[in-house]
Parts: sequence; C-alpha cells; structure tokens
Amino acid sequence: MGSAKAALEWHGSTLLRRVAGIIGRSVDGPVIVVRAPGQELPELDHTVEVVQDAREGRGPLQGLAAGLAAVGERAPVAYVSSTDVPFLHPAFIRRVLGLLTDDVDLVLPEVGGYPQPLAAAYRTCLHRVVEELVAAGRLRPAFLFDRCRVLRVGERELLDDPRLARVDPQLSSVMNLNERPDYERARAMPPPAVTVERFGTLAARSGVRLQTVHACTVGAAAETVGVTLDEHVVAALNGDQISRDPELPLAGGDTLALLAADAGG
Amino acid sequence: MERTPGGYFGKALIVDLDRGAARTKPIPESVLRSFIGGAGLGAWLMHELCPPRVDPLDASAPLMFVFSPLVGTPLTTSAKFAVVGKSPLTGRLTDALASSHFAIAGKLTGHDAIVVRGSCLRPSVLMIDGSSVSVAPAEEEWGLPAAEAERRLRERTGPAWRVAAIGPAGERLVRYATISHDRRHAGRGGLGAVMGSKLCKAILVRGREKVPPADRAAVLAAAKELRSRSFGPATAKYRELGTMANLLAFNAISTLPTRNFSAAAFEHAPALAAERIAELRQLARNSCASCTIGCEHLYRGPGGGKARMEYENVFALGPLCGVGDPDAVIAASSRCDELGLDTISTGGTIAWAMECAEAGLLDAQWLRFGDGDALLRAIEQIGAREGIGGLLAEGSRLASRRIGQGSDAFAAQVKGLELPGYEPRTLQSMALGLAVNARGADHNRSGAYEADLSGRHDRLRGGEPHVVAAIDSEDRAAVMDSLILCKFLRGVFTDPFSEWASLLNAVTGWDVDDRELARTARRIVIAKRLFNLREGWTRAEDWLPQRFLSESLELESGRTATLSADRLRAMIDAYYRNRGLEVSGLPAVGTLHELDLDRLIHN
Repeated sequence: MGSAKAALEWHGSTLLRRVAGIIGRSVDGPVIVVRAPGQELPELDHTVEVVQDAREGRGPLQGLAAGLAAVGERAPVAYVSSTDVPFLHPAFIRRVLGLLTDDVDLVLPEVGGYPQPLAAAYRTCLHRVVEELVAAGRLRPAFLFDRCRVLRVGERELLDDPRLARVDPQLSSVMNLNERPDYERARAMPPPAVTVERFGTLAARSGVRLQTVHACTVGAAAETVGVTLDEHVVAALNGDQISRDPELPLAGGDTLALLAADAGG
Repeated sequence: MERTPGGYFGKALIVDLDRGAARTKPIPESVLRSFIGGAGLGAWLMHELCPPRVDPLDASAPLMFVFSPLVGTPLTTSAKFAVVGKSPLTGRLTDALASSHFAIAGKLTGHDAIVVRGSCLRPSVLMIDGSSVSVAPAEEEWGLPAAEAERRLRERTGPAWRVAAIGPAGERLVRYATISHDRRHAGRGGLGAVMGSKLCKAILVRGREKVPPADRAAVLAAAKELRSRSFGPATAKYRELGTMANLLAFNAISTLPTRNFSAAAFEHAPALAAERIAELRQLARNSCASCTIGCEHLYRGPGGGKARMEYENVFALGPLCGVGDPDAVIAASSRCDELGLDTISTGGTIAWAMECAEAGLLDAQWLRFGDGDALLRAIEQIGAREGIGGLLAEGSRLASRRIGQGSDAFAAQVKGLELPGYEPRTLQSMALGLAVNARGADHNRSGAYEADLSGRHDRLRGGEPHVVAAIDSEDRAAVMDSLILCKFLRGVFTDPFSEWASLLNAVTGWDVDDRELARTARRIVIAKRLFNLREGWTRAEDWLPQRFLSESLELESGRTATLSADRLRAMIDAYYRNRGLEVSGLPAVGTLHELDLDRLIHN
C-alpha cells in the first residue's frame, strides 16, 4: 500500500478510526486495537484501548492472541476485524456475533469462496489456544480452525438476516484494500446514504424535517444539513446511541436524529 | 441580635385557621444560610412544624408557602415559590414549585414563608395583609374552577391582592389536586387536597413591605447579564416551541411512555407534535412573572378556548393513555386545569385504570386505551369523585392496592407519585433518580435524564457513571429549587455553583462559595430524606414498579433496553454509598455531622 493502512484518510477521518468506531457501535464491550511494536496509530476515540503485539511479523494469529487476551473476562465473545474494511457494517457484525451459539467457538464467514478470519467472531477463551499455536510457530489461521468448533457461514446464510440483506446485500463489509488502487477506487465511491431527521427548533427553523444525505460521519451529516454539533445539540443514531462525537462513523441505512440537548420538560 | 441578611425578613408567618390568628416564627440566619429558601427552607420548616406521622389531610398538617431571597429582585425567573407539605398521595414530603405574582406579593407581606395550620369551619378564604390575617366566607366561590375563583376574588379585593386557589378537585380531596395561581399550578403531590381539607378555597396576599438586597448594584448588573443570556441558544427550545418539542424527539429515541409504559414509542406522536400543533393552533406565547424566557405556549382548544400545553400534560393525557387525537388531549388538559388536577398523576392513574379495564380487573368496559371520550369521562369522574372516580381520585398506588390482582405491577408510580414522561428503561440514570427521590417519581427534583441524553454514557446500561450523574443532577436541582430559579435557565450557567453563589451573595451580603453551596445541596437532599424517615420511609420505597424490571423494550437499532432488579439494586447501593447513607438508606452519623444536620434539625 505504501503507507500504513490504519492512517489512510477516509472522508475526513481515518480508516482505523472508522473501523474501530463501527465495531464500537455494534458491541457492548471494550474495543481493542492491536498494533505492531512501535507502530504509530492515528488518533482514536478515548474509549478505544490499544495493546501491542509481542513480536512483529508473526501474522494475524499473533494479533488475535493479543486482542483476545486483552478482552479477557470482560466479554465471552469478540468480533475480530482487520483495519482495511471501510465498508464494514454494524449489521454484518451483529449477524456474525448472533450466530455464535453454545456449541460453537468461532463463527467464520466465507464470502466469495474465501474464509474471512478477520471478519469473524471468536470466543475470547480461545486466546490460550492461539498463544500455543504462535509459540509453536504454527501461524496460519487454519491451524486454529483444527483446534476449535468452527461454524462456517456462507453468503446465503449471512444474508438470511433481513436487515443485513437490506443494508449490505453485496457483503461489502468484508471488502478489503490490498493495494493502493483498491483504496483509491473505494475512496472515490460516495459515502453511505443516511437519513437525517431534525426535531424541535432544529426542524422549525429550517422548515425541513427529513433528508437523505451521503455522509461518513455524524459531523459530516450534521454539516450537510446545516446543523452545528455544539453543546445545544445531540445526535441519536438509529433511535439508540446518543452522541456528540462528530467522528462517529455512519453506515448505509442509518437514521440520524438531531435533537436539542436540553430535554427539560 | 442576629442580623437579617439582604433578601430575607428572617421570619415565617404561622397562621391558625381555627382561630383566624397568626404569629411569627423567627428563622435564624444560620438556618437561612444552610437551607436558603424554597424547597430547602421548606424541608427545615417541615421538620420544625409538622407533627410526626400526621395524616396529610388532618387539620394539624401544615401547608407552607415558602419564598426565597431572590424573590422580588430583577433576576429573571426569580418570582417563584415552593408549596411544601406532606403529600396526601405519597405520605412523604412534597414541594411543588410555582411561578407567579403570588410569590412576590406573598413574600412582601413581610415573611420568608407562610405556614397555614388548622381548618376553617366552613368554606373560606384566608387573607394575609402584612402580618394581619383574616378569614372570610367563600361559599360563593366554593365549587368554581380555581381561575374563576381567582378572578372573582381579585375583582372584589382589588389588583394589589394575589390569589392562590384550589379547584373542585381540591375541595373533594382528590389526592393529586393542585393549587393554582395566575393560571399556573403548584402541581405535583396533591397539596390542593391539603388546602381543601382545611376548607380553604383560596389564600389572598397583599404585600406592602420592602426587602432590599445587600448589594443593589451587583444585583442589577447580574440581572442584566442573566437576562441577556436567557435569550440565547440554551433557552431557544422553550421560547420557540416550548417543552412540547420533547414529544417527537422522545418518540424517535424510544423514550416516550406509551400505553401505561408498555411501549416507548407512539404511532400517533406526529399528530401531537409541537411542530404540527404550533402550526395549526398556536395563539400566543406567555411568560411567568419576572421571566424573560417565555416558555408558555397557548393553543386554541376544540371549544375555541385557550389551552396552555406542555410536554408533561400532552404525554400523560396523550401517548400514556394511547390517545392520539389532539382535540381530546387539549380538552383533557383544559379540564384538568379547571378542576385543579395534576395532569401527570391524572394521566398516569387513568392509564393504569385503562390497562386494568382491558385486562378485566376493573369493571369499566367503556375505559379503553386510545379512547379520547373515555379519557374525558374519567377526568370528570375523578374531579367529582363519582363512579370510577372515587377509586381513581386516590391515585394509582392506593387504587392498585384496592383492586389487587397484581395490578400494582403496572401502577407506574414511586412512593405513590406517578411517573413523568421519561421512560426509565431507556434512560437509566433517570431510572435511579426516579427511584431514590424523596418526593417520588419526579423529573424536577432529579434531572438525571440530561446525563442519559448527553452521550457521555450508554443510557441503556446503568452503572456507576449513571449514579454520579443522578447525584449531580439532584444536587443542582436542590440549589435551584431553593434559590429559587427556573430550571429552564440551567443551560446558561457554565459554572453553576460558582455563579449561583455570586447571585446569592449579591442579594444577601454573604460570602458563600461553590463548595459551601455544594454542601448546602447535599444537606437539603438529606434533610428531605430525614423527614421521610421520620414519617416511616423504608428502603423498599426507593424502587421502581415491577413492569420496569421485568419487561424489556426493543429499540430500532436492534438493542434491547432492560433494567433488571439486580442492576437497579446495584445503582441504588452505589447511590447510598456516594451520598453517605448506610445500606439501609439511612444517613450515616458522620454524614449528619458533616452537613450540620444533627445541629440544625431537632427532631
């Protein structure tokens, strides 16, 4: 790629911030970023935790071990992702996590005929198995698949989830950026279409309540409709998460409500 | 001799209705500085003057009108008073804040509080002219809506007199009856019934005294600056659409209580939205006495009259009862005003009754969710205490105890006070605030919803940050309710305790700082808890009804809003720890000492 993927610009943010933010929207527990020793990372939300690979150059299993161990007992299951998936959708993450049942240790999507170990759900207790494999120099993910209960999930089964089928029918969530032209092609695509709804005085003043805009972040969406995210305004994502973070990433099909921060009644 | 600080008279007027006589009770400066006024001073006066375990409707139960040092100054929103007493709905301390000229006239009778005890022999009005009191017959006014009674009394006595009156609901001892003045209501907790139990239709006050501030120039400068800030973006919502702007927003974030809290979004919310109703029906905007914000929005009612609509009465009489017809909601709200009924408790009790009727627990087949005519009929019956109204006039807690059959599980009340329009499962800081509040389920003594809607923490996953937020909000409310300043002004303060201390010092001449004021806040909150303790409170009352702990809500995002008993218990435990309370909820001895409560409260 020629430059660290994590820091690649993505519509006013960075790839890493976007992906970490999408994952943060989709899970209840901590978000962990695993970096190589000495690797510089772009700025992240203050809630994201950063841990370091013990050694560089040992492939994804080393990072997986570090990440799962960092989650530890705070969560029984983790969604694991690479950095270079700008079209990752929360619906995909929830679908994969939702398939992990009591008799499964690892939900492994298979898209385009390829297994996607960096778009998968793992039981966090697997970190011990992964550490053993890394210590033994067995660094291919396939070695892990032999040591645990894997549920391989194809495209059809993934898209059985109606919400995922609606918002990500092509499963672009797993589309990654290997080379510079991949990045440039992806970057040139329009930001996701989201619905912005204004309430109260924000609607009354502009006379417009509902608009569809293309924006990658809450801040970009607010700016597009002429609203400043200051102390008097909050955003509510999909009727749920309340935020004032302008860099909170948006995904296709999101609805963003812009409300007066003062809810006194 | 103790000096009387600026803004105070240093005394309360104690009126004995039985004899039509009054005496004054000195209030030491140490007490004034420790409790300020309004809700805080009211809590202290209740400790001093309310007989323990008295029935709220007994003649010896006091009814207090408590003013504050800021009343009568040019500070915006300062024309407020607290009506304080023991609530007939909850049996616990209640303090209903209200804004009107009554605050100014009442204070300028020369007293920091007016305490009314005893009972008249027949329907009467109490007239307070300075320190002179008299009781006059009110048979002609008895039965009238409060606003009409007020109008007639002022016609008779002259414009210098200000009136606080009850409507027919107060006369009939409906447990959530209000006291009305300038067409505004001291609404929650049923103090209108306390006044009704005294056969007192109205209290008239005429003020002749002056009470200068300690530093007039500083007060004038502060007033000018505060006025300017009151026109800024922090109050825009109140000016432009009023609190009704909450309705559609709350609907969008699954926070609009619907059909007795069985859902948190209402399919007919758009029909009731401020944005729509304002366009179709808004007539005028008004403000309280001494207020520059002007949050009062008047709409044209179905009969052509004017109705003041706010979020709480629209939610309670609309979505909570499943009613989506704006005509019915406006008519219901107007009728509650005429009868003198707290709209939140009215809507909450009727919504409970609707659910009972639909489940076959109550013999009232005409009473169904969504039926505006049924809503109006129920309100009439409550106001008259006829038909099903005899039961519903007791409030949802007492009514559910009489009906039994598990109906208490969905009587949405805390300590007997029906919940306001904030869904606890999707606002879990607020859930805690509602559960632990001394007054019951109240959105004014706890504004913890602000934290839930700030984005600072996950509103669906209550924990330690939610506890801290709830305590912060209670403390700020305690100060604002004692100063007294309107909470719609809160967003203009960037360093609230310091700025409030400056205002207080300018009026009184004191040298209070932010830390002392923060301690005063904690003292007031604990003083209220102590009163309730004296009256029989136990930890079991700091809780939420079963519906909220056993039923989850699905959000548009796919997440589920669940508030388990374990989570609520953990938050309450943490609240007690942070407040200096024991596991039982009793204040620790160290806390009482730290806040001087062992010295200031003698019972």
